Amino acid sequence: MNRLVGRGFQPITSLTKPDGTRWSVKEKLLLGLTPQDYMAVQMRNPFNWLLWLIYAIGLPVLVGRFIYGLGWATHGSYDYPWGLFLAWGLFTMVPLSASGFMMGTTVELFGRKDFKPIERLGLLNGLLGYLFAVMFLQVDLGQPWRLIYPMFVSLGPAAVLFLVAWHVATYLSCQVAELVPAYSEWMGLPKAKKAIKSIVLGLTVAGIILSTLHQGALGALFTYAPGKVHPLWYSSTFQWFLFLNSAIFAGLSMLIVVSTLSKWFLRWRCDDNFKQNLDQLTVGIAKGAALALITYLVLKIIAIAHDNKWEYLFTGWGQWYVFEIAVGVIVPLILYTRAVRNESASLARLSAFIAVFGIALNRLNTALITFNWKLYQEVPHWREVVIVITVYATYIVVYRAILARLPILYTWKERS
Amino acid sequence: MKKIDRRIFLKGGLAGGAALAATGTAATAKGAGTFNGYPNSMGVLVDLTKCVGCRTCEAACNKEQGLPAPDKPFNDTSVFDEVREGGQKRRTTEKAYTVVNRYDVEGREGGPVYRKFQCNHCQEPACLTSCFVNAYKKTPEGAVIYNPKVCVGCRTCMVACPFYVPAYAYSSATNPVVKKCIMCYDTRLKFGRPPACVEACPQEVMTFGKRTDLIKLGHERIKANPGKYVDHLYGETEVGGTSWMYLSDVPFEKVGFDTTLGNQPIISYVKDFLGMVPVVLTVWPALFTGFHLLANRKEAKKKEEENKG
Amino acid sequence: MGGRTRKVLGVTAMAALLSLAPHAGLAAGGPTTVELGTLSRLFAPVPFDHAKHTGLAGSCAECHHHTLGEAPVDPNCARCHRANQPAKSVACRECHPAERFGAEYLARLAANPQLYHTGKPGLKGAYHQKCLGCHRAMGGPSGCEDCHPMTEKGEAFYHTGKYAPAPHKGGHEE
Repeated sequence: MNRLVGRGFQPITSLTKPDGTRWSVKEKLLLGLTPQDYMAVQMRNPFNWLLWLIYAIGLPVLVGRFIYGLGWATHGSYDYPWGLFLAWGLFTMVPLSASGFMMGTTVELFGRKDFKPIERLGLLNGLLGYLFAVMFLQVDLGQPWRLIYPMFVSLGPAAVLFLVAWHVATYLSCQVAELVPAYSEWMGLPKAKKAIKSIVLGLTVAGIILSTLHQGALGALFTYAPGKVHPLWYSSTFQWFLFLNSAIFAGLSMLIVVSTLSKWFLRWRCDDNFKQNLDQLTVGIAKGAALALITYLVLKIIAIAHDNKWEYLFTGWGQWYVFEIAVGVIVPLILYTRAVRNESASLARLSAFIAVFGIALNRLNTALITFNWKLYQEVPHWREVVIVITVYATYIVVYRAILARLPILYTWKERS
Repeated sequence: MKKIDRRIFLKGGLAGGAALAATGTAATAKGAGTFNGYPNSMGVLVDLTKCVGCRTCEAACNKEQGLPAPDKPFNDTSVFDEVREGGQKRRTTEKAYTVVNRYDVEGREGGPVYRKFQCNHCQEPACLTSCFVNAYKKTPEGAVIYNPKVCVGCRTCMVACPFYVPAYAYSSATNPVVKKCIMCYDTRLKFGRPPACVEACPQEVMTFGKRTDLIKLGHERIKANPGKYVDHLYGETEVGGTSWMYLSDVPFEKVGFDTTLGNQPIISYVKDFLGMVPVVLTVWPALFTGFHLLANRKEAKKKEEENKG
Repeated sequence: MGGRTRKVLGVTAMAALLSLAPHAGLAAGGPTTVELGTLSRLFAPVPFDHAKHTGLAGSCAECHHHTLGEAPVDPNCARCHRANQPAKSVACRECHPAERFGAEYLARLAANPQLYHTGKPGLKGAYHQKCLGCHRAMGGPSGCEDCHPMTEKGEAFYHTGKYAPAPHKGGHEE
């Protein structure tokens, strides 16, 4: 597509064609290309071939999981009830999707309108991350068809997971609502956009509450397992706040990563407003991430001091812990700080990639690697890995498809 | 029904709206206090020194609960040599709600120690408090039972259980649920009868009775046999107390017990977060709306100054 | 011990009495064999050689505690039972209830708060703890079927013998 646009092709950016007639939905879906051209573009993209390969292997395995059960697809055991589906799909995806409420808060609540060009990307990153976290959950649940049970059939309101379920569900609707404007512009339904605009402050505040609670709740889930999660990754008092706090820089870093990927691979879809502001916005986001990182680092140390767990630092697990903190927290903290000082967007981008890796490491450590540290190490089944890659590939496909169409990276041209 | 009171308190704290949440703050503190169990609940006292490892309890459990046929006969003692991942001994599974393991304790006269293992039926069960579909119930008789019809299969109870008891029917694709010992509630306990394993045991390793009586009995037995038992009744206080309690003549950690669990029920570790929930629900809206107004005021001021300048 | 000697342990007092007759002189004040069979279900009754065990035990009180009027072996028991009158019956089941944890017995325990022997084992427990305790300590036979062969009901219960799981079927994988 980048090449096509380079040759002068104009993707759809408004409701009407240059001659004044309206674009049909089909034309909008095809980005203004003819079906033949569209197919040709898709076939030319080597990434699509990789996706086909993933689906060729992954779809049968995914189907097999529902036919033969979790015992066939995973190494889930009586000792390790949770595997990669949740460790990656839920516990890592959700903090990486915290960008939604972060950007909503920044722009709508704190009135930082200068972040507007990247707000919708932040919201979309949030929505899709949560949506696919639910997809991963559905793959992992023994009886996914009973997903609504905690909502309507049999309620266990004293459980942390109950809170996660309700808040993720309500927050998902909240995020859908926040993205209605983008959809209404694209579909030409101005009323919907107006309706959302009138309640946007309420939605944003709701988003903060729900995010605070369920990001924290994901951490609190592990407080149920005081003897199972390694003490260095466990804190009865701070676990929920550590998860919430790290979700802030995780979400911001993921937003930088996604915006960077968009800038590289979806350049044709980014308008000048996005492209020209991106570097400056990236540095702005880096500032926020650096603040969250330093808070997190201090809190991590306080958590160890609070329970007097220093001795664990001098064990093998302690070295692993120090590695996680060094690579996942201190390095990005230094890089972000330098990036802010030198106003270097590229340094901030490098830091963002490292921070995303760091947060994934932290969540995998808590949920899978240090879990049952007194027993033995669980190694996920290859089918489990294949399914995770397949679902994640679907996440990327949907993400890319929406970015290519809805006015997320570009501003819709309204002619009224 | 008394159990529900506690849940309603927490319900107020967690699920309630902003209005409910204000009262929920105070109520959570009460709701999260220690629950000392139902006064007349039953329990089982297991005297490890008496067990000879005949596995009759396993057979009785299998029959009573209608579990699938075992892989090996129940009088086959070669199962004691089985080793699972990480060098672990056998544990409860979807097909076996109780298992006996053999522990060779160095320097012990009278050979190895055999330990029967099953759900300990906590006073404040971690599985119950972590279940988001409220599938679990602590009955006034003392059993921790569950309703498999509402189990979604999230397996949080397995993560939460400090004793690694609940198993999961991983082999089933259509109806996988959590499975564990229910103290024969449906067929026996409800009618005042002891669990099948207790009745079947030839050695009367297990004593069935009121939990409060069993605690006395356990301490009496320790006292009446000076030097024989470790002076501790495992389960009297562990994780808030359990309906099943144990006497041993060797240190408990040598025969597969986790002695690092502490005396707080598992839910107490989650209280810090649960207490925060109503605070966030009530304070955040005001706080952030306030931030919004502040931010806007600054902006408005700026505009004013710009206009002047 | 005098004339009050015809004491029975199990249910089949008749059998015991009959078998006692020829050996009356040998078994000093006790039956020669006793069939222990009241609880028989998974295992056949135990043909208990009482005469042989009286010789091995040294003291009747080793098994009969204080019921024969002898001083009990355990000093803790002796505190109260030193100078006991012989009991009317010395059969195990006389004191050790078959339904140890039945509601009826538990209610009796609860109704008598002054009762000292609240932890007294039931009949099955008493048999096994006494017999097996000694057998294991003395190196006697201690396998289940050394004393009582398994019945067919027992084989079904333990999934053994005729009812053993097929060797190739047993795997964990489904």
